[in-house]
Amino acid sequence: MTRGDAQTYKIALVGNPNCGKSTVFNQLTGLRQKTGNFPGVTVDIKSGKIRFAGGKEAILTDLPGTYSLYPTSSDEKIVAALLTHPTNANFPDGIIYIADTHHLEKHLLLLTQIMDLGIPILLALNMADTAAELGIKVNIARLSERLGVPVVFVSGRTGENIDRLQAELEKMMLGTQAIHKTAAFYTLTEAEKQLVEAVQLNLGTENPYRALLIAHHYQWLPFLQRSERETLAAIVETKHFQSLRAQVDETLDRFDRFTPFVQESVQEAPTFPNTTTDRLDALLTHRIGGPLIFFAVMLLMFQAIFDWSVYPMDWIETGFSWLNDGLKAVLPAGWFSDLLTDGILAGFSGILIFIPQIAILFLLITILEEVGYMSRVVFMFDKTMRRAGMNGRSVISLIGGGACAVPAIMSSRTIGNWQERLITIMVTPFISCSARIPVYLVLIGLAVPAIKVGGFINAQTLVFASMYALGVIAAFASGWAMKKWLRTREPSFLAIELPEYRMPDWKNVALTVWEKVAAFVWGAGKIILFVSIALWGLSRFGPGNAVETAENTAREKAQTTQLSTSETEDLIAHHRLEASYAGQMGKFIEPAIRPLGYDWKIGIALLTSFAAREVFTGTLAVLYNMGSAEPDISSRTENQAKMTMRAKMREETFSDNGKPVYTLATALSLLVFYALALQCMSTIAVVKRETGSWKWALFQFTFMSALAYVVAWLVYLVFS
Amino acid sequence: MLRRYKTVPDLKAHESAAAISFVDPALACKLTAMGVRPGAVIEMIRKAPFGKAYYIKVDGIRLALREEEAFSILLEI
Repeated sequence: MTRGDAQTYKIALVGNPNCGKSTVFNQLTGLRQKTGNFPGVTVDIKSGKIRFAGGKEAILTDLPGTYSLYPTSSDEKIVAALLTHPTNANFPDGIIYIADTHHLEKHLLLLTQIMDLGIPILLALNMADTAAELGIKVNIARLSERLGVPVVFVSGRTGENIDRLQAELEKMMLGTQAIHKTAAFYTLTEAEKQLVEAVQLNLGTENPYRALLIAHHYQWLPFLQRSERETLAAIVETKHFQSLRAQVDETLDRFDRFTPFVQESVQEAPTFPNTTTDRLDALLTHRIGGPLIFFAVMLLMFQAIFDWSVYPMDWIETGFSWLNDGLKAVLPAGWFSDLLTDGILAGFSGILIFIPQIAILFLLITILEEVGYMSRVVFMFDKTMRRAGMNGRSVISLIGGGACAVPAIMSSRTIGNWQERLITIMVTPFISCSARIPVYLVLIGLAVPAIKVGGFINAQTLVFASMYALGVIAAFASGWAMKKWLRTREPSFLAIELPEYRMPDWKNVALTVWEKVAAFVWGAGKIILFVSIALWGLSRFGPGNAVETAENTAREKAQTTQLSTSETEDLIAHHRLEASYAGQMGKFIEPAIRPLGYDWKIGIALLTSFAAREVFTGTLAVLYNMGSAEPDISSRTENQAKMTMRAKMREETFSDNGKPVYTLATALSLLVFYALALQCMSTIAVVKRETGSWKWALFQFTFMSALAYVVAWLVYLVFS
Repeated sequence: MLRRYKTVPDLKAHESAAAISFVDPALACKLTAMGVRPGAVIEMIRKAPFGKAYYIKVDGIRLALREEEAFSILLEI
């Protein structure tokens, strides 16, 4: 939207939550839409182009759903801040107001508020299709006459009357609307009048209602100067203006005014019999059945993320290794070819490999959201999550974190309160994600004996499950701690509408999934690619000609001990890595990680797996001369490879005291470290994106690393 | 002391009562905008599985309220 020149007509789409705004948006813009950051806010705003028959264009912006211009969440504040700021580059020239025909009365409040701001507006009564089925009849002409705004009956789902809406829109753009009412809908009280006059005098605000809103919101409206804020504070003080009281009175007065209009124009007012929704909710929000069904749904979702993503992930992996091998065969050997294959190509595959899981998770979450189930989950788990400083919706993010923290963090956008959302983002990576599984498997297989504990549970299984439990405990405990530490000025509300269950709008589902996947690829992808290339450089090059020297040494060693070709390759890879910058760094950090029971080789693995945890096993494989990090063709050889790797790891000793490295204590300490540390550049990238600054991403990284370090150290102390 | 009102959590399942006013102005602001106004009939549907929240119906609109939010609505006896 920021691209639009001054000549382009700007239209904003406004309405209450659950009014079906997004479906109307999709109908009007088709696929000509994009998501962008509104200047100064971190919430993504969708905008798109409307093309009219004559070739004219307008830019349509989908503002967050809100109930009134007296906002309670940062999301809703965007609407109030924009509509009270006419000099803002995004200030709309006209507004399409979407209202749900089923609950017309409730939806008119915000409409009348916007009317009083003097912005051209037209009312679209949405869900015409289902309203007709329920026998709701609205006298459009009467409603339009009484309210003084054009009214169109539309259906975002079926596309009914979208052409009429466009026609009305053109009239609005030309300024030839049939009705144009100038009188304010709400009459200011005597006290408000005095207040408004003072604001108008001091700030030069023309519109009285805008002046009133500025007086209500002067503390947070982002466009106000400091001097203006002080002036407004003084005015509010001297006029003894009680903002909250006045807000309630105004709201009730507006209802009193338009309620008769609704009664006059709605024929056969809707009755609300016990519907399917009530019957479903009796089960889905049942005291015992509700949570049980929820856990079953989550289990299935989890299962689906793993099961369905196996094949596409395989294709991506195979495709890339095929491409990699092909390029290596074709290109001349040299650092440039290496950069292309091991750096850039590996980076790309690191981005693309996430797509199946992200797409599936978002598909399922979007469907649950679209049908209306999500708000029931919010209702059921709000109490549980609040204890840990979060909101009911955080459950979804935490569960999603079991597959991959990246999409899980993105799904936290449904949380309105910023503090609750932030805590959710901060603690989600504690949940053990799929990338930790291979690390767990190797380390547990190495150090935990396969004995039965208490006669029935396998010790290995027990440790594996404990890692998951540790993640959950860490998430809730740190959420609880952050709640104590962060004190938000923003009040927290549950007060959420539980919409009617309905079939998902598949077009909207597809668009949402596409949009989120694309956002990940372009946003987090850039950073993943960059770090991949940097890591490649660090492990490829070393100071001076150290790497070359190391390679020659390895070659000589291989010749004297008469190793096979593949063994020679492994030995060279090992020596090169050791001499590289990454290897140097491993040696450099060894003193710091020695208390946890790690040597420099594990240090390198820690450093390389900063990019992504799954790199850990690959790095160790290289370090312990165990051939390529690529998966083997048959699982049998892979198992054998793992077995030999374990054997070699068991033989590993510390260079200074000759004691074995991989004791139970070291393995458990490493397990705990991997369970708690934030070793995933994708997560860091996405946290930066979602919180809008590096501050929280770095805080999270530092906090999780420090916690991992301390707990791993304690574990090592206890078990060694 | 005799109370001349009750609040939402006093309602039994499927019991209804008309709202009179609100205790907390900030919540009043939020709730009125969502359609919970004095005079509106509130029907209790059920309590949340783990408590501390209520599922109510107001003029055909289904809402979930936290305990604090529910306590802030005064109802006719």
